[in-house]
Amino acid sequence: MTAASRASYAPQSSRRSRAAGDSRATRGGRGRGRDLGRTGFALYLTGGTIAALIFLLPFAWAIVRSFMPNDLVTQAPAASDFSHLTTVNYTGLIQTNDILRYAANSLMVAVGTGLLTAVIATMAGYGFARFRFRGSGVVFALVLVTMMIPFQALLTPLFLEMHTLGLTNNLAGLALFYTTFNLPFGVFVMRNTFLQIPWELSEAAAVDGASAVRTLVSVLRPLVVPGIATTVLYAFLFSWTEFVGALTFLTSNNLFTLPLALLTMEYGSVGQVNFGYLEAGAVIAMVPCVLLYIGLQRFYIRGLVSGVVKG
Amino acid sequence: MLLVSPAVAMVALFVLFPLGFAVYISLTDWPLIGPYHFIGGQNYSLLIHDPEFIHSVVFTLLYTAIVTGPIFLVGYGMAVLVRSGRLGSVFFRTAFFLPFIVGLATESFMVLLELQPDSGAADYVLSKIGLAHADTAWTVDYGLALTAICVFVTWFASGLTMMLLMAGMQGIPTELYEAAEVDGASWWQKERRVTLPLLRRNIALALIISVIGSFLAFNQFYILTEGGPGTSTQPVVMWIYEEAFVQYHLGYATAGAIALVVVIGIISAAQFYLLRDRDNARAGR
Repeated sequence: MTAASRASYAPQSSRRSRAAGDSRATRGGRGRGRDLGRTGFALYLTGGTIAALIFLLPFAWAIVRSFMPNDLVTQAPAASDFSHLTTVNYTGLIQTNDILRYAANSLMVAVGTGLLTAVIATMAGYGFARFRFRGSGVVFALVLVTMMIPFQALLTPLFLEMHTLGLTNNLAGLALFYTTFNLPFGVFVMRNTFLQIPWELSEAAAVDGASAVRTLVSVLRPLVVPGIATTVLYAFLFSWTEFVGALTFLTSNNLFTLPLALLTMEYGSVGQVNFGYLEAGAVIAMVPCVLLYIGLQRFYIRGLVSGVVKG
Repeated sequence: MLLVSPAVAMVALFVLFPLGFAVYISLTDWPLIGPYHFIGGQNYSLLIHDPEFIHSVVFTLLYTAIVTGPIFLVGYGMAVLVRSGRLGSVFFRTAFFLPFIVGLATESFMVLLELQPDSGAADYVLSKIGLAHADTAWTVDYGLALTAICVFVTWFASGLTMMLLMAGMQGIPTELYEAAEVDGASWWQKERRVTLPLLRRNIALALIISVIGSFLAFNQFYILTEGGPGTSTQPVVMWIYEEAFVQYHLGYATAGAIALVVVIGIISAAQFYLLRDRDNARAGR
């Protein structure tokens, strides 16, 4: 075990120096375009702002419309609409459509998926990064290969299997399914995270008399936590926004996640669609994604670069 | 070894076993309930003569062919805009990527509302500038629905392409651009002679991810058109879903799914091959 972990030092350090080179190049790249000139810069700002509006206005518009009652939403937009803003859609959704239950279902599945993915991917990432065992290369390749298999194509066997195991119509079952399809990415990110840790550091801490727990907390935590945050964020967002799996594996109404609850509203409970409710429901589904992304953006981009681009 | 076993167990239970099971199911006439029979390759021979399945394949290919170009070009343009780290570029980047984060399902419901005749924002804006009648019903016409969904998906997915390209652009050493400027290269020449060749790996990655995403399209069609009118806007994943969980032809649906796995597998393998090749070539750098 120790021989194996020592043997893996050489590629680690070369990997580290390459990563350092990459980040230097990144910083160098930032300086580009300083010579843009005043006109060029004004063009850049104008173009960027117009483009940003195209991307943001639909969301802003959806939020505004979610505060308009159904009879206004189903008419052509007019300036007078803005003087009739009301929270009737939200109160209606809570009172008659049980939206809080669906939001809670979504939240439980997403948090469960995030935590489970983090725990399993951290263990596996550590195992793959630190130890070489017989067949570890093959096993790692096997986990990564599953990234190529679209879960959309496995709906039928998964349904039969999960049904037999009692995992259909079961929020924990749905979380297990989501966790599995987040694992390849998570394991990859966590393995890279552990590969980048200078283990000499923890050995030095041990020599200086730090206990194993103290080493873990003060030396490893600052290096590992970003990796875990990336893994949790991806798993949470995947679970929160997933549609076809939930549609297949959940059939009883009281277990529906938010996207399924919205679908029920689209079909209309008594044949009549309440578009005001639908819009407010969509805004409720949208807000956590937006807040999480804006707050944790650097982890998301980190994952995109280390998990996808370098993968 | 103990550490990796939970991950391996999960993958075995929910990916590898279902994959093998899928091959088996596809060789039977499995209904949802009741006995099934082994029928060999019959599902597959039916499949290639099934006009509905063939249509879903052709439709998926058409849809992919339409959206891939715009997603790439818009994404590339946005990457050029945000790559330099100028004032405001973080804000722009966040804005451009937001649709990808919120997800197609939620956004499809928002878009559904705005595609309604007479009341939707699409008709309101387009009729003001004279491009459509105020009562255009986008989701019940094949051509209109496909057009609307392609615009919508470009808006949704180009942020991801931007991120993937931006990561590559920022890794290109500044000295190369400085050298090109000394040689008097124009912006376009720098882009063509320096950026594009060095970005090949990221471009391949962005295109492959985009194509796979289009092949697996489901949410936007299921929510906006339900595959209609008729089954004219039904992509492959929706054909599988309908055949399995509406018609209860599980064996037959799974045969179609296996075909999808094979196609996606080939694309992914091509991705690994292409990108690995580049990696070795770059290792000497």
